[in-house]
Amino acid sequence: MPESVTLQREQSTDVYHNLGERFKETSRELCGIMFLYCSGNPPQLESRVRDFLQQESGMEFEVLKDSSTQTLAVLLPGFTLDATHYQALLLKQHLLETMENVDPRITLTVFPGQVDPTPGVLKQMAESTRLSASPDIHIFTREEANQEPGRILIVDNDDTVREFLTIRLKMQGFETLEALDGTSALELIEKWEPDLVLTELNLYGIDGLPFIHQIQQLPVENTPKIVVLTEQRVERTISQCFQNGVDDYVTKPFSPVELDARIHRCFH
Amino acid sequence: MVTIYYVMIVNILYFAIMGLSYRNILTIFRRSKYSSYNTLSGSELVPSVSLLVPAYNEELTIIENVYCLMTLNYPTYEVIVINDGSSDKTLSVLISEFGLKKMSNPEIRGTIDTQNMRGIYHNPDYPQLFIIDKENGGKADSLNAGINFSHYPLISSIDADSLLEKDALIRMARMYMENPEEMVAIGGDVRIANGCLIENGAVQKVSLPRKIWPMFQSIEYLKAFLGGRIGWSHMNGLVIVSGAFGLFRKDYVIAVGGYRGGYPGEDMNIIIKLHRYMLSHKLPYRVAFCPEAVCWTQAPDSYKIISNQRMRWGRGNLKNMIENRGMLFNPKYKVMGMITMPYNVLFETLNPYFRITGLLALMGYTLLDMTHWRILLTFFLLNFLSGYLLSVGAIILEEIAFRRFKKLSDLWKMLLFSALKFVGYHQLGVLWRIQGHIQYLRKNNSWGAMTRQSWKEESEAA
Amino acid sequence: MFSHLIVAYIFIYICLGLIGLGIILLLQMKVSHNKEQHRREMYEQKHHDYFKYIQAHLEEEGALRLPPGKLKPLERKVIQEKYMEWIEQFKGDYRARLIQLCRDAGFVEADLKALSSVSFGRRLDAAYRLGGMRAEEAVPALLQMLQKGKYNSLSIIIARSIAKSAQKSEDVLEMLRILLSHGKPIHHLAADIMLESGMDASGLLLKLLDDPDPALVKVGLVAMWGQAVPEVMPVLGRLVGSEEKDVRAEAVKLYLSSNPALKDETIVHLMSDRNWEVRAAAAKALGPLHAAGSIPLLVKALQDANWKVRYNSAESLAALGEAGFEALCQAALSGAGIQREAALQRIELVMELEQEHSAIEQMVAYNKKRLIHDRYFGVKRKPVKRMTGVAAVGGDYTA
Repeated sequence: MPESVTLQREQSTDVYHNLGERFKETSRELCGIMFLYCSGNPPQLESRVRDFLQQESGMEFEVLKDSSTQTLAVLLPGFTLDATHYQALLLKQHLLETMENVDPRITLTVFPGQVDPTPGVLKQMAESTRLSASPDIHIFTREEANQEPGRILIVDNDDTVREFLTIRLKMQGFETLEALDGTSALELIEKWEPDLVLTELNLYGIDGLPFIHQIQQLPVENTPKIVVLTEQRVERTISQCFQNGVDDYVTKPFSPVELDARIHRCFH
Repeated sequence: MVTIYYVMIVNILYFAIMGLSYRNILTIFRRSKYSSYNTLSGSELVPSVSLLVPAYNEELTIIENVYCLMTLNYPTYEVIVINDGSSDKTLSVLISEFGLKKMSNPEIRGTIDTQNMRGIYHNPDYPQLFIIDKENGGKADSLNAGINFSHYPLISSIDADSLLEKDALIRMARMYMENPEEMVAIGGDVRIANGCLIENGAVQKVSLPRKIWPMFQSIEYLKAFLGGRIGWSHMNGLVIVSGAFGLFRKDYVIAVGGYRGGYPGEDMNIIIKLHRYMLSHKLPYRVAFCPEAVCWTQAPDSYKIISNQRMRWGRGNLKNMIENRGMLFNPKYKVMGMITMPYNVLFETLNPYFRITGLLALMGYTLLDMTHWRILLTFFLLNFLSGYLLSVGAIILEEIAFRRFKKLSDLWKMLLFSALKFVGYHQLGVLWRIQGHIQYLRKNNSWGAMTRQSWKEESEAA
Repeated sequence: MFSHLIVAYIFIYICLGLIGLGIILLLQMKVSHNKEQHRREMYEQKHHDYFKYIQAHLEEEGALRLPPGKLKPLERKVIQEKYMEWIEQFKGDYRARLIQLCRDAGFVEADLKALSSVSFGRRLDAAYRLGGMRAEEAVPALLQMLQKGKYNSLSIIIARSIAKSAQKSEDVLEMLRILLSHGKPIHHLAADIMLESGMDASGLLLKLLDDPDPALVKVGLVAMWGQAVPEVMPVLGRLVGSEEKDVRAEAVKLYLSSNPALKDETIVHLMSDRNWEVRAAAAKALGPLHAAGSIPLLVKALQDANWKVRYNSAESLAALGEAGFEALCQAALSGAGIQREAALQRIELVMELEQEHSAIEQMVAYNKKRLIHDRYFGVKRKPVKRMTGVAAVGGDYTA
């Protein structure tokens, strides 16, 4: 039935078109938006979301349903990005507690902010919510809309550091992968060819200067830039690293802003 | 009757030592829980260490070992592998793996006599790695050669078949830094790696050995290290720092003339010499045990190798005791002379004889008059229960402070094997020790023709 | 006979009882620990989204929210530990915001209360966490705790907490004073603890170097390795003349490592200092200085009793151009014993090292040295065959 498909598509683009128009009118005002998708599309989902949002007193909201992607769009006027994010995690927790066998996927952003609320972008957000592989709440960023990322490999044995760097670099639009130890990092560099390796010096398998040497000797077209982020503060090690072609050296505890700046410098 | 009292007294002494371990275990637990090794391991202020790795015919394991040692969590250190005239390809596999070149002009600063050094190999790409190639001279001789070449004020001896945990060295250094002037030697905890999952030169998942020989040894080590050495360390009466992993002040090791060549038991020998030296010079000092610094070693898993190892230990122990008999009951040597040495002679070296004569006497007694079977039974029960109690005590110590074994089933297995140990294994231990003593006495007759012991097996010992 | 047996029986019963108790204790510990572990994992999973939220918005203005819902004690612990992990990793605003979060959640308050608990374990636990949360208000109580306790590894934990939390330099100084009052030479450890402070290092260092207590001065000197602090150079200059042997040695080493311009008489003075560390540092510093008068001094120092001094002198001579190299060759040819050894060793090293360089400028320099070398030793590949084997240079193990 080709007609109905076209019809649906028109209808669905209409949702985004209308939304886009609305955002254009209120372009000055802050508005958080999140897309929610649950596989299997449980019937009471929409009402539950409404009920939940109503409980939070004094909050304006609007819930729209897109039948083609089966996603719900929740508009939260006046919400900043972090507030929207917090609301999203409350909503997710609520759904997990009150319904059985739900697996909510959420993508969110705020307008005006990283991206412009064009119908295309909104559609893209809805799609990425539906197709999202990870159950984590996802923040939609400009770089994702542009799809022009650099690739960064994060090598560190510490889960906390890796998690933080991944979140941060992803929000800035970089494509990232993680490696726990030197040996698997070397394999990944050869296979994935990242533009930059952000690494701790102290790793399992192989580490320190020998690790740096190995990276530079890998048979890849463009040897990645190397930024070291480490506890190691011994002056001699630092100078040896620079002598051996490390692009930058940051010691822990680090300032994330400074780290950003140094990474960006490597890309320009 | 005497034997029953002997057994009780021995065990009460064991309990006393273990009691001291209990007094310290909470402190140990807390200091390892609340110390952040990450900041320390990057600090310029941590003393530099030379790791000495003697290797004799280790072509199969040496590469993995060196990689493991080169990725320790430590600010400044060097790895010195000493190839003790191996007859296999130990040297050439190292050279090709690390692209080493012979240094044309090495500085050797030490003056301890060793076998002739053939050369020192190095590659600037691996700045912390050096290989010394020398003619065969035994483990002690290799360590001395390593000391002669080493650049740093602390040395650490490590067996070529042991894997250090990443934090092991920094944990020891923390202990050293808390009392740098007095700390002359620190021993690490040795654990059995059989059965554990080893990846990337590190133990990734801890579980108990599947074979019985390593399983028994696993419990034995737990008992000796946690139940015994923590207590001895508290009294400053440690008589041995495991050869598999220990940290030493280089200046004092040199002051006592370095390691002794030829015979086994060089790890006990160096500690006794250090005690002797410090006490006779009236210097305040400590020989400490650092249970949170862990080294994993491969335990022998066949009867032949383990019996050889134990005989060698028995031989080494006897030799060291005889050589240092002057310290016995000598008040000049304080805890060492009054407690540790007598304890070692009476309850370690001579223990087998007491037990056997006691058992024989009781058996004879019972055979004469069957109504006394209860005494015999009491004797057995006494032995078994007190020994078992010690094992349980050691497992509790482990559970309080370290919890390396996560599963409940591991706990059951340990409790079971602690009991099984007394059927057979324990008796074999006594036998091996006596055999070792016999070996020693035989060797002593042919003093002139001292055959050099290949120490492929040596390195398997703790 | 039977009274003896009774003793044995009693012993057996005691053993049996203890074994029973031990096994029960073991099982109980294992089970409860595994259960706690399990619950921790569950809570971590539950707050996974929250943790992501925090990490994503640390940068933005506006207060971060606390975790939603009512929290169980263990749940609070899990969250607090997570906050503390981040605090350790980050600097600046990020850290400040997380510290604020700890305060908002009431973690600081709870641990301050625990600091006056009866149980030592709880107090220590609280002390550790208060340091982790950089709680300034805990410093007086922590100082008291440190003062009262005996010196052992646990004092170090409290001391680190004080260093992390303190906002006033007097508190840090007080902490160091207590730590060093036990008379142990733990200057390196003390310096490391001091460097954990979030305060400006140079201000602290200046205060330390000016302190009347030589132990604190030493901590300051030790801490300065690896830190470029130009403000303290004048103070260093004063400490070079210090009476304390160790202090002087450390100060000289630091002072010389910054390549200052030295007067000839200062050089002579330093090169004849009684402390070998001072002589060695001076010999090392003379190389890059290019002072004309230093060659004879260095040649003389090749005979020094200390290995390090000889080594550094030879190295510096080799760095002093052709004149220095010629002096080295002369020493190798006409000198004897240790002087000759030290010189020869360096010559071999120079000849070998420079062969590897290819830059034209260095080639010229090398060729000149080659000429000098050949003049002294004849045209051979290797200068003079040295005794290979052990004990080449004589013993010294201090470095």
